[in-house]
Amino acid sequence: MADDIVDVLIVGAGASGAAVAWSLAETRMRIVCLEQGGWMNPAEYPSTGRDWETRAGKEMHPSPNVRKRPTDYPINDGESPIAIVNFNGVGGSTILYSAHFPRFHPSDFRVRTLDGVADDWPIDYFTLEPFFAENDSNIGVSGLAGDPAIPTHQPPLPHIPMGRMGETMGRGFNELGWHWWPSDSAIITRPHNGRDKCLNLGPCNTGCAQGAKSSADISYWPMAERAGVELRTHCRVREITVDDRDRATGVTYFDADGIEHHQRAEVVIVACNGVGTPRLLLNSTSARFPDGLANRSGLVGRNLMLHPWGLVVGHFDEPLKSNFGPQGCCILSQEFYETDTDRGFVRGYNMQITRGGPPVGTARGGIAQGAIPWGEGHHDAFDRLFGRSIHLGICCEDLPEEHNRVTLDPELTDSNGIPAPKISYTLSENSRRMLDHGSGKGAEAMAAAGAVKVQQIPSPLRMAGWHLLGTARMGTDPERSVVNEWGRSHDVRNLFLVDGSVFVTSGGVNPTTTIQAVALYIADSMKQRLANLFD
Amino acid sequence: MASDEIIGSDSPLTAEQRDVLAIVLDLIVPASVDGRRPSAADVDVLGYISASEPGTLTELRGELDQLDADARERHGEGFVALNADVRQALVDDIRAAEPGFMRSLAIQTVTCYYQDDRVLEAIGVEARPPFPKGYEVPSGDLTLLDPVRKRGRVWRET
Ligand SMILES: Cc1cc2nc3c(=O)[nH]c(=O)nc-3n(C[C@H](O)[C@H](O)[C@H](O)COP(=O)(O)OP(=O)(O)OC[C@H]3O[C@@H](n4cnc5c(N)ncnc54)[C@H](O)[C@@H]3O)c2cc1C
Ligand code: SF4
Repeated sequence: MADDIVDVLIVGAGASGAAVAWSLAETRMRIVCLEQGGWMNPAEYPSTGRDWETRAGKEMHPSPNVRKRPTDYPINDGESPIAIVNFNGVGGSTILYSAHFPRFHPSDFRVRTLDGVADDWPIDYFTLEPFFAENDSNIGVSGLAGDPAIPTHQPPLPHIPMGRMGETMGRGFNELGWHWWPSDSAIITRPHNGRDKCLNLGPCNTGCAQGAKSSADISYWPMAERAGVELRTHCRVREITVDDRDRATGVTYFDADGIEHHQRAEVVIVACNGVGTPRLLLNSTSARFPDGLANRSGLVGRNLMLHPWGLVVGHFDEPLKSNFGPQGCCILSQEFYETDTDRGFVRGYNMQITRGGPPVGTARGGIAQGAIPWGEGHHDAFDRLFGRSIHLGICCEDLPEEHNRVTLDPELTDSNGIPAPKISYTLSENSRRMLDHGSGKGAEAMAAAGAVKVQQIPSPLRMAGWHLLGTARMGTDPERSVVNEWGRSHDVRNLFLVDGSVFVTSGGVNPTTTIQAVALYIADSMKQRLANLFD
Repeated sequence: MASDEIIGSDSPLTAEQRDVLAIVLDLIVPASVDGRRPSAADVDVLGYISASEPGTLTELRGELDQLDADARERHGEGFVALNADVRQALVDDIRAAEPGFMRSLAIQTVTCYYQDDRVLEAIGVEARPPFPKGYEVPSGDLTLLDPVRKRGRVWRET
């Protein structure tokens, strides 16, 4: 019914919005989620067809500026060395994610205390621990218990196969005496909650046709909808409305036909990711919030952290069949995760071992990086790479800096005329040093593993702004943070933010397991306080 | 190129441009010495570009025409009429001076080439989509982790 009031209105049906929707459903409140994209049909994912490598680079391209689906919004990232990548639809960016799922470390929540930089979080690892576990079992996470780099936990499903390439790298790390472990992965290796196990297809980044990758559309959404949450697709929210008591009254949105609606709500939860959330808040201006909603601190959009990414490629003599298996999940090394100031930088990075490319990916990458020549040498060079190369990604902790930010572009808009986000980002000296260190250590690891040739790819990689964090940080001080320690806006007491925007620091690992644990923790905090939620 | 030359034809290129393209494709990926892998000139690269990347055809036409014009200017005859060594040297020269020259053609060529059944079979990949059959990947030897376990906890106390 038009402008009927709902109890809870969630904007965004990605990793965090889906988790919160499921968690709050048990309250039996009336919950509606508005999502600008639609449902994906896994039967249409590229890996179901012979031309899958062509399609992967088009309609499933990670950049919305290249992909240009009607449900995407453009992002001006021309002033950033790192481009923003995402997906807009039910499941959000998890439709394309690699599902590499390492948790933040306890130290990640205490960087000011331990290393004198940035700020501590108002919560810690052990507060989140039960929510990590709840999330792992809800969506289906595989891994091997006993990793000495992280507090003990038991992933519900057996680890992803390492293959010969994982063993080869493991031997290399052993040679150097470094930490390594099979990665926690949001991919099911056994049937789980009615979904079937991973078939090692490879192209998880183009959507998983098998349904083994635990994207939010097929993990949380069926659970949330069964529990009574209403998900409205093709609804793009323009702004959150407020009254003169600084309470959110609902949202204004456009439906699939471009018709404008207002949806009233008692509580508004924003889950549009570290770029979409500040964009929506900055677009929500009013007399009481002329600089954007919930922005009296001036920090909405600031402190954007992107995890600058390095890459080292090793070429091996023996066939490793490295092109098979989940592309982004195999093993990791956290030897350089914790701070050691002798390295010339603070904080650290994760080394993520990823599979070699498929045929087209190998050939295109080889040509672009000069490893495959034109002419006679083509076939030999291709054979040296295909199935015999291993990739080592370096995920650097990015520290919060206010000048790295999301603003509104003065000209660029989406198809509904809503101002689009603009990214201003520069790489810090700390990140530069960390990337260089990681590249050197990655090359050392490849050599120890027996690589006959090692390529240190210039970094940061451009098409690698996968992790969007920090643009509406949490904290106890309303002057220095946007939301409190349980996700509620300091300025608007019935507005909650639950995605990576609330991160105080970025850790040195892929963030989605931590994003979902934080979202479940915020939902739980809301449930604990239902009687006095707005006090 | 006069556009009327291709009116009435299904091809987005003139006959001359197609001849130059065939030679260039063979320079990018020639047939393998054992004959198992075809030359890129023998897979339908032009069909692929027309269907998948039609927006790049204008650039391609320009590059093919430029190659032919350079051949005439330097050697007095069109690219197709040159002998293999001279063609190769000409292409090498232009690419050295303009590293972006025909780069997107090369990328499109391998994109088409490595989705061709004959090529996939020759490189040991079954010519089928990944789904639904999938692939086998060995789980891996977990005893390799013994030294890591032995070293013990490495996470930092807070
Ligand atoms: C190619 C790729 C690979 C990745 N690999 C990994 C990985 O291996 N491991 C990992 O941890 N992370 C990975 N990530 C990141 C991961 O996907 C994100 O961290 C995660 O999805 C973020 O969750 P979220 O809920 O914050 O936002 P999202 O999942 O991005 O969801 C936000 C949703 O909000 C919707 N929305 C935005 N604005 C509006 C609006 N105005 N109105 C209505 N709806 C709106 C969007 O359409 C979208 O569906 C990857 C991402 C990509 C793109
Ligand atoms: S490798 Fe596994 S998770 Fe990835 S796309 Fe294939 S079946 Fe899905």
